[in-house]
Amino acid sequence: MILLGELALWIALPIGIWGAVAGFVGGRKGRGDLVLSAEYSVYAVFFLLILTSAGIITAFLTDQFQYWYVANYSNRELPTFYKVSGLWAGQRGSLVLWALLLSLFSSAAVFTNRTKNREFVPYMVGVLLTVSSFFLVVLLFADVNPFERLPFAPADGRGLNPQLQNYWMTIHPPTLYLGFTAFTVPFAFAMSALLSGKLDARWIVITRRWILLSWFFLANGIIFGMRWAYEMLGWGGFWFWDPVENASLLPWLTATAFLHSIQIQENRGMLKVWNMGLVTLTFLLTIFATFLTRSGLIESVHTFAENTTIAFIFLAFMGIMAGISVLLIAWRYPLMKSENQIQSFLSRESAFLFNNLILLGATFTILWGVLFPLITEGITGQAMTVGPPFFERVNLPIGLALLALMGIGPVIAWRKASRRNLIKNFTTPVAVGAVVVAGLYLRGVHHGMALVTFGLSAFVMTVIIVEFVKGTKARASIEGEGHLLAFFHLVSRNRRRWGGYIVHVGVVMVFTAFAGAAFDREVVQTLDPGETISIESPFGHEYTLTYQGLSSPRGQNMVRQAVALMTVEKDGRPFGSLTAEKRLYRMWEQSPLTIVGIRQTLMEDLYLILENVNDLGGAFENEAQAQRATFEVQVNVMVEWIWYGGFIVTLGSIIGLWPSRGSPTTTASRSQTGGKRPALAARS
Amino acid sequence: MRDNGKFFVGFGGVALVVTYLIWTGVSDTMLYYLTPMELMARVAEDPTFHDVGVKVSGRVEVGSWTRAEDELLHHFTVVDLEDKSVRFPVEFRDMLPDTFNDTDVVDVVVEGRFREDGVFEATVVLAKCGSRYEATAEELLG
Repeated sequence: MILLGELALWIALPIGIWGAVAGFVGGRKGRGDLVLSAEYSVYAVFFLLILTSAGIITAFLTDQFQYWYVANYSNRELPTFYKVSGLWAGQRGSLVLWALLLSLFSSAAVFTNRTKNREFVPYMVGVLLTVSSFFLVVLLFADVNPFERLPFAPADGRGLNPQLQNYWMTIHPPTLYLGFTAFTVPFAFAMSALLSGKLDARWIVITRRWILLSWFFLANGIIFGMRWAYEMLGWGGFWFWDPVENASLLPWLTATAFLHSIQIQENRGMLKVWNMGLVTLTFLLTIFATFLTRSGLIESVHTFAENTTIAFIFLAFMGIMAGISVLLIAWRYPLMKSENQIQSFLSRESAFLFNNLILLGATFTILWGVLFPLITEGITGQAMTVGPPFFERVNLPIGLALLALMGIGPVIAWRKASRRNLIKNFTTPVAVGAVVVAGLYLRGVHHGMALVTFGLSAFVMTVIIVEFVKGTKARASIEGEGHLLAFFHLVSRNRRRWGGYIVHVGVVMVFTAFAGAAFDREVVQTLDPGETISIESPFGHEYTLTYQGLSSPRGQNMVRQAVALMTVEKDGRPFGSLTAEKRLYRMWEQSPLTIVGIRQTLMEDLYLILENVNDLGGAFENEAQAQRATFEVQVNVMVEWIWYGGFIVTLGSIIGLWPSRGSPTTTASRSQTGGKRPALAARS
Repeated sequence: MRDNGKFFVGFGGVALVVTYLIWTGVSDTMLYYLTPMELMARVAEDPTFHDVGVKVSGRVEVGSWTRAEDELLHHFTVVDLEDKSVRFPVEFRDMLPDTFNDTDVVDVVVEGRFREDGVFEATVVLAKCGSRYEATAEELLG
């Protein structure tokens, strides 16, 4: 199985290259046989990469430590779950996963377009297989072959970094990769539209579900990463503006911009060049994100290892793709004339445009911050850095402006908003926002930026709720339906719009949670068993934690644990218990891992960290004297809103993604091609 | 693009604001990123450098880490990666990351101020177990 996997990797490359060439040549010359061959190549590469991944997973599951990759990321006692996720634990395997997911989405794109949109297919396949082939070349020739063998077979592997032995960490990278790779499909369609000269909104209509799919995976991937950081890495923090975190945020920001700007092109025939630019930029940023993780160019807790070969190959690839895209856009520029112009600053076009500009502004500031050490070293010879204070300062006003636009965009009129439109739609939300700010201020919330955030959040929420209520009422009275049924029909008839609003609700919740962090509290104290720590939450609750002492069990793949037990009282009543630990994992015996205890409630989390045990060695040996320990107790405000917000974003995205029966796109293209699979649509 | 005179006005406005934010953000928060050797050279040249926030990358000296009893206060020594004789003590009042230790090869980035008494007062410590990341064949043998 392992050998088969290795063989499959080698076979996949020539097939990928052949398919890419066949796609481009077939498209150019109108050769249906070549195009068909290219499409089969997509499926073939997918199948071969399944074999490759299965080979790697088999090597992990059967402890084949003669393979360098397995020896570095696994050990015998590692739980099976983490052996399977070994596929993406390190750089080599995660490149395989990337290629696998890309080929999965490529196959899905080819399959769903087997009988429609045929005029786009040849070049789309060409682009998709070009990107796949690039990753295969990297895997085989950049010194990162996952099947590299050692000259001997070590008795045991070096184990998986304990920080990665966490549920969220196993799903965070694949989810991000799903988002990154899914975006290659819209990019491929866009390039195909440029090459074939079919530059109306068709390519956008075809790919908007793909764009949303990619966006949805990126959003979830980022949130899973925050969850992991909150539980494992940050001891209460969830975002550190680390270069690699930032790199995952960049394509999400531009994809968000793109999701909005395509609506202007669809509705008003504007921004065609802009959209081409955005789709290209987002694609390049997905590659940049892997590049940053893999090249070790910029120091980060996430980077795998320095590998200059990879850095060079990725840079060259990004440069070539960027160059070709820009040339194509320049070549087709005359075909992308705008059909309309912006009539007023007070219009939905304008609100969407500002949303785009601000999102790009955020992208640029983050990119600037990430690359700042390189830029300064290049120019002055002395590296300078910027850290979280920079990112927070710059992105706070940007984030607030976006939040405001999120309330304005959905209800302001297209073309030119009348005075009536403005008054009708904004009086109530603005009033609610103002009342919330005033109410909070009177209740003693005096943090300026948090107040602004809460006020804007209330404004946006009111806008959305009013829209839902109005829509439901209108439908109920026109169709004579009950309100619940009317609501259901309202959403299902225009899933994209209402799904989008639901996504907005989720995003607003996440923003609110960020503002809540301004009110976090913490206490540090050293205790003997029987002693207590008290902390008062910003909501006025009094938590008292009584230290019950340490125990030292031994979990799977661990040498020892030191588990501290605390009983908790909230406002004088029993509130269960919390444990916090130090764990010593096998193969990682010099670095104990800190495991926090979290008691989650809707408005505040009680968060317990076992900071230090005075005699940790003794505690691991279960010695009665070794009990004295230092704890940190935090109250983290509204963190749960991030996870709930993420859940609502997911819900809204699924509503938007759900295929609607008889959508205009599919019927239109079916009737064009007569529902049969044509050998090839007319050449451009 | 005939259509978008206003577009460009908006673009210019947003670009100006973003530039302003970046400019002030950078000038107020940027830090020197130095090696221990460069840090020593700087302070020798210009004593006011003691008051400037800096970020320094180096390696934790094996066996140099001590921790105050019952208190969140750590001391350890950072050495230069190239010239092992260049070193300075670090004082840090917070929780150290799990990846930090003084028995293995640990690379650190410390952020803070190099005080006049020769102690580096760190506000942020990032640690990376250099040797733990990926091992070569020889290391796996051993």
